[in-house]
Amino acid sequence: MAYFITDDCKDLIKDIRNFCENEVKEQAYEAEKLGYSDEEAADEIIMEILGGIQEMGIGTLPIPEELGGPGLCRIDRAAIIEEISKYDSGIAMTFMANELALDSVEIAGTDEQKERCYEILGEGGYGAFCLTEPNAGCDVSNASTTAVKDGDDYILNGSKCFITNGTIADFYVVYAITDKTVPAAKGGYTAFLIEKGTKGLSAGSIENKMGIRNSHTSDVVLEDCRVPASCILGEVGKGFQVAMGTLDIARVWCGIAALGVAQRAIDESVEYVKQRVQFGKPLAKNEVIQFKIADMQMKTEAARQMCAYALTLIDRGEDFSLAAAEAKCLAGDAAMAVATEAVQIHGGYGYSREYPVEKLMRDAKIFQIFEGTNEIQRLVVGRATIGKI
Amino acid sequence: MEILVCIKQVPDDSVEIRLGADGQPDLSAADPQGNAFDTYAQELAVRFVEENGGAVTVASVGPEDNKTCLKNALAVGAAKAHHISDDGIAGADAAVTANLLAAGIKKIEEADGVKFDLILCGRESTDAIGGEVGELLAEALGLPFVSDIVEAVPDAAGLKVKKELESGYLMVETPVPAVMTVSKPDYDPRYPTIKSKLAARKVKIPTIAKADTGISADAETPKVVFAGFEEPPKREAGVKIQEDEPADAVAKAFEIMTADKVL
Amino acid sequence: MKALIFIETKDGSPIGTSLELFTAAKEIGAEAVAVSVNGKEGVLEEDLVAAALADKAKAENAELILLSATTLGKLVTGRVAGRLGGGSVNDVISVAVEDGKVAVIRPVYGGTIREKIVVQASPAVISVRGGSYEAPEDAPAAETIDAADGDIRTKVVELIEEAGEAVNLEDAAIIVTGGRGMGDEENFQLCAQLAEALGGVVGATRPAIENNWIGRSHQVGQSGKIVNPDLYIACGVSGATQHVSGMMGSKYIIAINKDEDAPIFSIADIGIVGDVKQILPLMIEEVNKRKA
Repeated sequence: MAYFITDDCKDLIKDIRNFCENEVKEQAYEAEKLGYSDEEAADEIIMEILGGIQEMGIGTLPIPEELGGPGLCRIDRAAIIEEISKYDSGIAMTFMANELALDSVEIAGTDEQKERCYEILGEGGYGAFCLTEPNAGCDVSNASTTAVKDGDDYILNGSKCFITNGTIADFYVVYAITDKTVPAAKGGYTAFLIEKGTKGLSAGSIENKMGIRNSHTSDVVLEDCRVPASCILGEVGKGFQVAMGTLDIARVWCGIAALGVAQRAIDESVEYVKQRVQFGKPLAKNEVIQFKIADMQMKTEAARQMCAYALTLIDRGEDFSLAAAEAKCLAGDAAMAVATEAVQIHGGYGYSREYPVEKLMRDAKIFQIFEGTNEIQRLVVGRATIGKI
Repeated sequence: MEILVCIKQVPDDSVEIRLGADGQPDLSAADPQGNAFDTYAQELAVRFVEENGGAVTVASVGPEDNKTCLKNALAVGAAKAHHISDDGIAGADAAVTANLLAAGIKKIEEADGVKFDLILCGRESTDAIGGEVGELLAEALGLPFVSDIVEAVPDAAGLKVKKELESGYLMVETPVPAVMTVSKPDYDPRYPTIKSKLAARKVKIPTIAKADTGISADAETPKVVFAGFEEPPKREAGVKIQEDEPADAVAKAFEIMTADKVL
Repeated sequence: MKALIFIETKDGSPIGTSLELFTAAKEIGAEAVAVSVNGKEGVLEEDLVAAALADKAKAENAELILLSATTLGKLVTGRVAGRLGGGSVNDVISVAVEDGKVAVIRPVYGGTIREKIVVQASPAVISVRGGSYEAPEDAPAAETIDAADGDIRTKVVELIEEAGEAVNLEDAAIIVTGGRGMGDEENFQLCAQLAEALGGVVGATRPAIENNWIGRSHQVGQSGKIVNPDLYIACGVSGATQHVSGMMGSKYIIAINKDEDAPIFSIADIGIVGDVKQILPLMIEEVNKRKA
């Protein structure tokens, strides 16, 4: 976040950068590599990193000031998440997933439900937003997880997949079909807030991902999971609207984390081209390289401004759906393009696991896929721009 | 125990500083921060009061801008901060800095109604690397002095401290009040939290003007004066050996070493 | 100009870098008196040396007091000046006299910049970085003095020896240093093996020490020892300023690093781009072969 951030936040970012340089940068890189051979050992490192970040109070960022949060606006919060994402987007994703789960609660939850979630986050806990299913990605209408009313309770059954924080969350926002007779968008879908330890809710198999490997992505399984009606977020049948509202906000956060990847790819490239001498001069003195760096910088900065604009709209309470789609798509594409170019600039070294840009390129790809693929974002933007045909 | 930690504000020591076109050190890329050894001293002090009770106060001599490092100190456990202005002194050397600190400390004690039992400095600063202020401060205050400590515990005599040697340690007993310098303990300073940092940024840090410290004319006269910067001579790179086979590289290296009569 | 030289001793013998002070005094035409200070059970060495030197300097009317910039030397410099109302400068690399005043050069900012300082007050109390001057072939003997019984308020109650032998990096002719690139404690032993084969000693960078591959008395660099050997072999050392400023004075530098862009190569007489784990065993073998 280059612009609009407060002096308070600039100062906080220095602290966070200092922390990440010492406690995240190499550790996260090691954990990522180790994860291929020894998941358990890698996870130990990751949990230690997360613990340190929690101690700094990053988990409390979304909590309103009157309830004990630091009271930073969304742009400041985003700048902090971008900074963490620069060091490891998987780690940043953990905190993004908190925002995502919390957004559903803030959109539809009661004061009591909100306060409970703030309390959990305040204690260093995590949230998980459980929407995606094996047969229902962007198309929610295909969902098969059900919640059947039984007296005053609901009994949930089904399986969610690609759930960030699936194995570590303390509260889960789970979407389930409460009425099979109507389409999800028309009143068949309902959101539930379920806490860890509830019988019948468990984390399933862990996803073996291409990138953002330091985030905890797993299935979340519901087997005769009985919850009282007080767990419903908002109204029965309004789940689709809650999910869509959440995704709108999530898209911007997703863009923010993508920016971290892009910025890191720029930083790594700049350092490399200054140091690497070829044909008797540093690569940086080569105009072709300068042009590449310029394009990387412009793509990233343009996406950053779009994200900042979308966040400003949210903070101002204005309609931000279109801006969010544009921001997510631009930032995701920028991250992929910039990381790919960074690998190209590094040449053979870029393709090696010994240099961090290889990881950045793998990390970047997801930002064109999740929270609505970039094709979906283009659909949203295209339709909105063209209007009624 | 009431502990005062003296903090110098220095340019970020992880940034390589070179002379700029104007012949002055180019500090543009190095954000100001508390000197590393001073932050170790503060962490040692904060851990001490957490364990044994008391409070940590921090002080810094220098321009108004030094309040930055004092606010950072407030975010990681210091209870109070005081800025001692050196406005009006040209080219303060270690002796003047120590004298101004000594005079300022008396004012802080009056203002806060405390009497410091222990005054800590880092063993040296990362910019000037002089390492003299701690010992000169002890001389100026006429207090016992122990350098390079990494541990301190209360003791019948006052304090028992662990002093680092080049190899090994000394356990030293000292009465208080005393002045000590701190080396690197086997822990790192804590990080500020978002909340502690935001709270520290709101604190108004009082400034003690030089004139109000009552420092004498002699004490504020530098004993040594700065007379210019220069670049160290550059060392030229020699031969770079890049062979596919390690054995070839080693053979080539020994050939050159033999020719250069190194062996 | 009358100079008082403090000769620091270790196990009864003068340390090499103290003897270099005779040359520093000679070059500015100062008349030098040299002293060592007796230790005393239970008293911090720096307290004794500061008191003894201040008294001796007063008695001799010394205008210049020279110490080696060792841990002890740097701890005493300021205090002696403080007691005599003089001016002090630590860790200088050259001493000159300009218009009757002592002018010195010293490294700042981790060694990337040097500053010139002129001492206004008298006496000038200066600690000189080891290796800045050549030690004379036959140095005069130093008088051994005692500190007067004074105001000693601290008490040394215990010495904790650290495991591992003491190492004299400052006076070593050959140093083989291992850095982060050595990878692990086992591979770090290759540095010790090469040092042994060459009859040298082992140095280490801060990362190697933080990884506990070797004791901190082996650290070369701004926060460790400043060394000036005839031959310095840097293995798996990237060349951070912090380290380089401690070994720049080496006469001949060999660097081995697999990263061909490592900054250490820009100051090395011979740079070998390669894996230390492959290069070092071959070097050890070659050295042993040549010795046989």
